[in-house]
Amino acid sequence: MPTTSFLETVTVIETREVAKGTFVTKVKAPSIARNVKAGQFVMVSFPESTDPLLPRAFSVCDAFEDSVSLLYVAVGKGTRRISKLLPGDPMVFNGPLGKGFPNMSGQKTFHVVVGGSGAALIPILDRTAKSRGASINFYYGARTGSQLVKFDGVENVNHATDDGSEGFHGNVVELLKKKIDGDSSGVVFACGPTPMLVALQREVGVSVETYLSVETPMACGMGLCQGCPVRNAGDGDYYLACKDGPVFRSTEISFEMKP
Amino acid sequence: MKPELSVKLGKVELKNPLMTASGTCGYGEELSGYFDVGMIGAIVTKSLTLKPKIGNEPPRVAEVSSGMLNSIGLANIGVRRFIEEKLPLLEKLNALVIANIAAKRAEDYAELAELLAGKESVRAVELNLSCPNVKEGGMEFGTDVKALSTIVKMVRKVFGRTIIVKLTPNVTRISDFARAAEAEGADAVTVANTYVGMAIDIYTRRPKLHTVRGGLSGPAIRPLTMAKVFEVSKSVQIPVVASGGVFAWQDVVEYIIAGATAVEIGTVLFAKPDAPVEMVKGISEYLADSHFGSIAELRGSLDVNLQNVPHMNRG
Ligand SMILES: Cc1cc2nc3c(=O)[nH]c(=O)nc-3n(C[C@H](O)[C@H](O)[C@H](O)COP(=O)(O)OP(=O)(O)OC[C@H]3O[C@@H](n4cnc5c(N)ncnc54)[C@H](O)[C@@H]3O)c2cc1C
Ligand SMILES: Cc1cc2nc3c(=O)[nH]c(=O)nc-3n(C[C@H](O)[C@H](O)[C@H](O)COP(=O)(O)O)c2cc1C
Ligand code: FES
Repeated sequence: MPTTSFLETVTVIETREVAKGTFVTKVKAPSIARNVKAGQFVMVSFPESTDPLLPRAFSVCDAFEDSVSLLYVAVGKGTRRISKLLPGDPMVFNGPLGKGFPNMSGQKTFHVVVGGSGAALIPILDRTAKSRGASINFYYGARTGSQLVKFDGVENVNHATDDGSEGFHGNVVELLKKKIDGDSSGVVFACGPTPMLVALQREVGVSVETYLSVETPMACGMGLCQGCPVRNAGDGDYYLACKDGPVFRSTEISFEMKP
Repeated sequence: MKPELSVKLGKVELKNPLMTASGTCGYGEELSGYFDVGMIGAIVTKSLTLKPKIGNEPPRVAEVSSGMLNSIGLANIGVRRFIEEKLPLLEKLNALVIANIAAKRAEDYAELAELLAGKESVRAVELNLSCPNVKEGGMEFGTDVKALSTIVKMVRKVFGRTIIVKLTPNVTRISDFARAAEAEGADAVTVANTYVGMAIDIYTRRPKLHTVRGGLSGPAIRPLTMAKVFEVSKSVQIPVVASGGVFAWQDVVEYIIAGATAVEIGTVLFAKPDAPVEMVKGISEYLADSHFGSIAELRGSLDVNLQNVPHMNRG
């Protein structure tokens, strides 16, 4: 039961373009800020709007005191609209929703693999790791260097670009494999485009404890619509990404949607 | 004086005309974190089938202009698990429960209704004879007057409480189906389920839903369903439950003026899970401000000359 979720009218504090076409919007959202865990998400809607009609899902990028930040690539109706809001403008947030990443402990090393808007998870995971005394490394991929977001105060970020303009020349899964070099003692967390998750599941998830945050289309985010199925690798039944996920152990699920 | 909001569907009295639409509120309990589900006229469950169904492959949902397409495929836990696990929760939440049922065969509708008849807290059944996404949804039944009559007759034999028949809008004359349901003893009809629709991603040239076509819901369909609610309410005596594109309380009032007794709210819950709270308030204030003492006074109060409506006066 969604006893820990809130329907909160939030107000924009500021929006910054942090890389080409990528924005971070910070809002005042005290109830959600105090209750969110890394890997959980919010459903964002616009009061009185019928177009866009459905709320949009966003991972919480950071939560500090009363504020919550979202990181997004402005690709469509919802994201363009958020990017144009002015300080003080309202939105409605429903969250925190879903199950986040498992708790981090000081004993293990965490490898976080992200691509595209999956970079949203870097700040919140970094903050969580620091508070728990866990050691954490980030592997962050993009097509080209100008799409990479720089995060103040976050260390251990390894970049990979398809065109080699910054960091490792190649994809981020190759970069991770090179760095861990067969060592299967750590834990991998990942969020990004489905092809990246599929590659990780196949090439890393079999030997290293791996958790994937999946993106499926969602209409409600809270178990009302059955719109977000993710195939259970065991019995072939479906999980719901919004309630059972969006973070799954990579051995639990199988991908069936064409990316 | 506070206007009277209660309405009746057959023998069951709803404290206000708002109902959740099947498939848009889970099993009701999912909404309870957002508002007191006991305050709404009725909670209508996701369509229940005899055996659990895992549903269609993704993608199952896609947004279109002021609406959405869905092709869930009646994913549900099955009637038995519903009775064991979900019904007690709804009872505890003081919800007025209406079970929506779907099946592939007429006998299965009867079996479902019989199982639910044993549960006093299921105050009514809504027969889904209209899902566009699977055979079980009974769209074939819903587009064949004879089949619809058979099912309603069989369910009537085993279920003594309120029976609501949910009609598909994907037919030429929906009032023929409403009349058939009435003739077999249905207590009310729901007008209507979703409209068959389709959308394409022009860059991948793939359909936006795995099943290619799906059901269109949301504000985009409201004027279409408004016309059907008006038509049906003029052709049957039993109450009409409107379902299609309600976004705000004004839309509920509009449906009641068109002739609806109760109104289901669906897609709007995804963005505003607490929408019923404001709607009840809005309707109540509207009635008071317009000097209506009750929903019944407002119902069908459309100021219209039926001679101006083509098709309507040909009987
Ligand atoms: C659990 C979860 C967490 C998410 N977290 C984030 C997040 O932190 N940041 C974020 O930006 N998004 C995130 N998303 C995706 C987000 O919900 C939206 O789908 C996305 O931001 C596009 O919304 P829109 O309204 O701008 O585009 P729409 O108007 O819905 O789509 C416009 C077009 O863009 C296409 N499109 C949609 N998404 C993308 C994409 N990522 N790249 C290229 N084309 C696309 C669509 O197919 C469509 O044709 C998340 C999704 C889920 C399910
Ligand atoms: C995601 C989704 C799932 C639905 N599932 C069902 C269902 O299982 N049974 C049913 O009778 N109607 C189902 N419907 C139809 C709704 O109950 C409702 O009649 C329709 O969506 C129109 O109302 P709306 O525009 O307010 O959503 C579903 C609709 C949606 C959007
Ligand atoms: S998005 Fe509606 S059930 Fe998951």
